[in-house]
Amino acid sequence: MIDVDCRASNGSFVLEAALRVEPGEVTALLGPNGAGKSTLLRSIAGLQRIDAGHVAIGGVVVDDASTFVPAEERRVGVVFQDHRLFPHLRVLDNVAFGLRSRGVGRAEAHRIAREWLDRLGLADLARRRPAALSGGQGQRVALARALAAGPRALLLDEPLAALDIQTRAEVQGELRTHLREVEQPTVLVTHDPIEALLLADRVVVLESGRVAQEGSTADITRRPATPYVARMVGMNLFAGTASDGVVSLDGGGSLTVADAPTGRVLAAVRPSALTLHATEPHDTSARNRWAGRIAALAPLGDRIRVTVAGPPDTLVDVTAAAIADLGVAPGSEVWVSAKATEISAYPAPGLSTG
Amino acid sequence: MRSPQGVRRSQRPPLLLVPPALIGVAFLVLPTVALLVRAPWSHLVSIYSHADSADGIDVAAAVRLSVLASLVTTGVAAVLGVPLAWLLARVRFPGRGLLRGAVTMPLVLPPVVGGLALLLAFGRRGLVGTWLYDTFGWSLSFTPTAVVLAQTFVAMPFLVVTLEGAFRSADVGLEEAAATLGARRTRVFTHVTLPLAVPSLISGMVLCWARALGEFGATMLFAGNVMDYTQTAPTGVLTAFQSSPEDAVALSLPMMLIAIVVLVALRERWLRGVAS
Repeated sequence: MIDVDCRASNGSFVLEAALRVEPGEVTALLGPNGAGKSTLLRSIAGLQRIDAGHVAIGGVVVDDASTFVPAEERRVGVVFQDHRLFPHLRVLDNVAFGLRSRGVGRAEAHRIAREWLDRLGLADLARRRPAALSGGQGQRVALARALAAGPRALLLDEPLAALDIQTRAEVQGELRTHLREVEQPTVLVTHDPIEALLLADRVVVLESGRVAQEGSTADITRRPATPYVARMVGMNLFAGTASDGVVSLDGGGSLTVADAPTGRVLAAVRPSALTLHATEPHDTSARNRWAGRIAALAPLGDRIRVTVAGPPDTLVDVTAAAIADLGVAPGSEVWVSAKATEISAYPAPGLSTG
Repeated sequence: MRSPQGVRRSQRPPLLLVPPALIGVAFLVLPTVALLVRAPWSHLVSIYSHADSADGIDVAAAVRLSVLASLVTTGVAAVLGVPLAWLLARVRFPGRGLLRGAVTMPLVLPPVVGGLALLLAFGRRGLVGTWLYDTFGWSLSFTPTAVVLAQTFVAMPFLVVTLEGAFRSADVGLEEAAATLGARRTRVFTHVTLPLAVPSLISGMVLCWARALGEFGATMLFAGNVMDYTQTAPTGVLTAFQSSPEDAVALSLPMMLIAIVVLVALRERWLRGVAS
């Protein structure tokens, strides 16, 4: 198990975060660049000391006020974004490196390394040098190298970010399979929400050095806690104050919702649950409607994503046919409607929502 | 990448630059040509194969000592210089800049002064030499060992400076990766840092060796110039020049050959330097 509750810094940047990952569980550490994902990862790996709090791996404290177990004694496997394979060693020796470092004999280390290469479908590459590997192969070898060393926890630092789109999809699928089999607690750092949803059981969202939200992937997508998370999962998110089923939005306007707690709330609605009208709709059962102006149109799969300037500002997904029927273009006045039951309102976490 | 325009422009130098450049080339190349033209090619073998005690010059022995001592020097410089370069590149400590200056001092110090300094430190009455003599009965000055010490003093900085740059620009990420795989610091150094610095280690050793081979000033003062004992090819050239200039030329030829070998060995590195 990974158990972290720490303050760590990187220059003037300060990270304050807590994280628990159970054996066999994959937790995605999701956040924009500069959120502190790598600082947290390095703190767990023992590549940097924390300023306060503790880091424990498998129930053993490896970093706190009185302890610091350096990386080489932590047995925490790391897969780096740029794979960091040793360029002067063959793939087999790269994978055997961790075992050799722990005093395992050459023959035995090679045997175990070969087993790992077989398991990850890399047996053919054993004799190659890292320079002769593709990006995807390099990343898989890096995973084999980390696992072969027998780590107590596994950390992956944006393992797919350096790959081209096609390779990424391919490695993503394989990684999903392999991570399912990993018995160790695993942390996956990423800034790609889809990667987090595909590969992880739980998601911890980091923003500006703080945990902005954590939960199952389903929680995160249904009830985003910050505008960043909402944008990431493609939801419209409004902050406001609710009473008697009506949320007065901070940015102006109000929404009627089916059932809302009272007080500070967040209201989330999927762009595809909103309807666009050329004129004020009177024949709709939707209890929310407001006027806006089309700010932008962008293709999104077989839909068109329409940015409507409110208040409130919203994203609305409609079909191309609907745009044609409505006869609208950027700058057009439109009406937006939403059913009360499509909007989920939930208490705002004690965090700024921007 | 060079643009076609860049090539054309660089091919048409200002005329003002051409004559001085040509004179410069002639000045650098002519002495080498003269050495080759005036070399006693016909009886070179006999010069190399017999000692001329009367003139105090033994060409073969001098060349042998030069080669042997410079190789030992390169080994010593590697053993001491590699750790030193790593410390200078990687460890922050007060006075590091000062230490770096002290280490590179022999690069700019006139070698004769270096020889004098070695004598004052390790000579029989020197700062450390007195103690060495009283305790162990060692007298280093004016021995073949002194030849190696003099060469090491002037040549090791070349190796240290070359490697320090390599260690400083080495990929720390790979060392971190090694640490997460359980490699302790010594193993990280021997299995990751050093292997990746091998190209720089080789050029540092070649530079060091070449400098050691040509060492003259410090050797003269600290080791002397005794035939069949401390006489090296460079100091031998001085002795031979006074009695039989032909021997001096004969002594110079192997050193020239070695210079050419060094140039070829380093060419690759130079090209890389120009490209980056």
